[in-house]
Amino acid sequence: MNEITNNPDMCEKALDVLHEVIDPEIGLNVVDLGLIYQLDFDTEEKVVYCTMTLTTQFCPMGESIQDGVTNCLQFNFPEYRADIKLTFDPPWSMEKISPEGLDWLNGGSRF
Amino acid sequence: MFAPGAGVNPTKTTSHKVIIPFYVYASLSFVAGCVLLFASSASFTGPHFQPHLLAVTHVMALGWGSMMILGASHQLVPVLIEGKLYSNTLAYLSFALAGVGIILMVWAFYHFDFGLAAQVGSLMILGAFLSYLVNIIVSMSKANHTNVHATFVLAGTLWMILTISLGVLLIFNFNYNLLSFSSVTYLPLHAHLGIIGWFLMLVLGVGSRLIPMFLISKYSNEKRLWLIFYLVNAGLLLFYASFIVKRVQSLYILSSLMIVSAIVLFIQFAFKAYKARIRKAVDPQVKIALGSSWMMLLPAIVLGMVFATSVLSVYFEKLVLIYGFCIFFGWISAIIFGMTFKTLPFILWNKKFHQKAGIARTPNPKELFSQPVFRIMVGFYFTGFVIFITGILLANVIVLQTGAALLIVCAVLFNLNVFKMLRYKS
Repeated sequence: MNEITNNPDMCEKALDVLHEVIDPEIGLNVVDLGLIYQLDFDTEEKVVYCTMTLTTQFCPMGESIQDGVTNCLQFNFPEYRADIKLTFDPPWSMEKISPEGLDWLNGGSRF
Repeated sequence: MFAPGAGVNPTKTTSHKVIIPFYVYASLSFVAGCVLLFASSASFTGPHFQPHLLAVTHVMALGWGSMMILGASHQLVPVLIEGKLYSNTLAYLSFALAGVGIILMVWAFYHFDFGLAAQVGSLMILGAFLSYLVNIIVSMSKANHTNVHATFVLAGTLWMILTISLGVLLIFNFNYNLLSFSSVTYLPLHAHLGIIGWFLMLVLGVGSRLIPMFLISKYSNEKRLWLIFYLVNAGLLLFYASFIVKRVQSLYILSSLMIVSAIVLFIQFAFKAYKARIRKAVDPQVKIALGSSWMMLLPAIVLGMVFATSVLSVYFEKLVLIYGFCIFFGWISAIIFGMTFKTLPFILWNKKFHQKAGIARTPNPKELFSQPVFRIMVGFYFTGFVIFITGILLANVIVLQTGAALLIVCAVLFNLNVFKMLRYKS
């Protein structure tokens, strides 16, 4: 589940833009895939903290996906620096895929 | 909650610079193998031990199959062992040694010359696989943990070292009479150590990891995979021991049954992974890779017919030729078609679009190659494959050349798509 700890408006906007970051292998965005665990905006230090995971610790596309999240946050929040933390505790599982994501994987419409 | 302050560095994947030369070499070898097949079509109307057939077999087994496997596994082993590849330099060394060694050896086989070129070439290939073995062993020893998939790769590499060592011995035996029998006597042992020990072990180990991953499947069954591992290795050891110690056909049949049982268990594994998949749409590359699981049974069926046929029968030589053709142009080629277009696009996507991810529209990795060309290639492949087998059965050179010509078209289309990916502008 995605967790927002402060600045709900900013975090909602960040989650919205992160829909543009796609896992190239699966074809699904990182939000609906359940890779984004936590978002925090430090408005004083101007840092956006993002805790995220990968489908497997040694995902061959892991570096690209993490860079995609960094690029996306810094592009959409130019006054902020993106600080991405990768965690595998808890590890990703298929239960983390959103209902919309499952629908898309089952052949539903792309969103 | 999430681990507080946890910050894990993403794995650095093996550089594309290490991997791409293997893919390019393998792709060009496929064209060379098909052209040699066309040029050697007449040889498929006679006995199986002939210089041109020896050359075709080694282009396909080493240049096409093994170089593709070496390239892919330098990328995939870090994924399997959840660690880094130990050395890029050893990978380059493997490529350089194998790349030159294969050319020397195939040239020598084609001219039926077991002199210096064959001897140096075979030793270079042995050096290439020893470099690979060291790279894999050190990578595994530095990784957090190993698993059944990585164990398949390691055991497969050890079998391949044994296969090549025997091959080197057979080449030297032609000139120096080192063994008690002629080299031709040992060919079935050399061939099966490579086919089962190297190709099958790698396909089972890597396939059992990649198939559920590509299908996004919840299914996993490590116990079954260990059972498959023990069945293949025990079957192969039994075959090896019975060949060296005492040749008893019932032991060959028993070892074949153990290996066929492992293949059936793997097909069942792949089917269960398919049924438990989350992504319903399955792309053509995964379909052909799944289909190649079934194609493993085709050589097994032909082998059963070989066992049931007398050596003196007119069908014996034809069945042996079909058996070899089904392995190298059938099963191994089909799995490479599927896996090349599931792995190479991602390796190249990482290289070309890494910096643009998340800020600009990037193509899907599948868009890096032409899907219509892929489908046409598959069409030419299956038609050529069936026609060539028909040609062996009829012992008709025109039919054989027609099948080989279709396979050349298939190989050219395969290369078109590979080079389209390599030249894709970001």
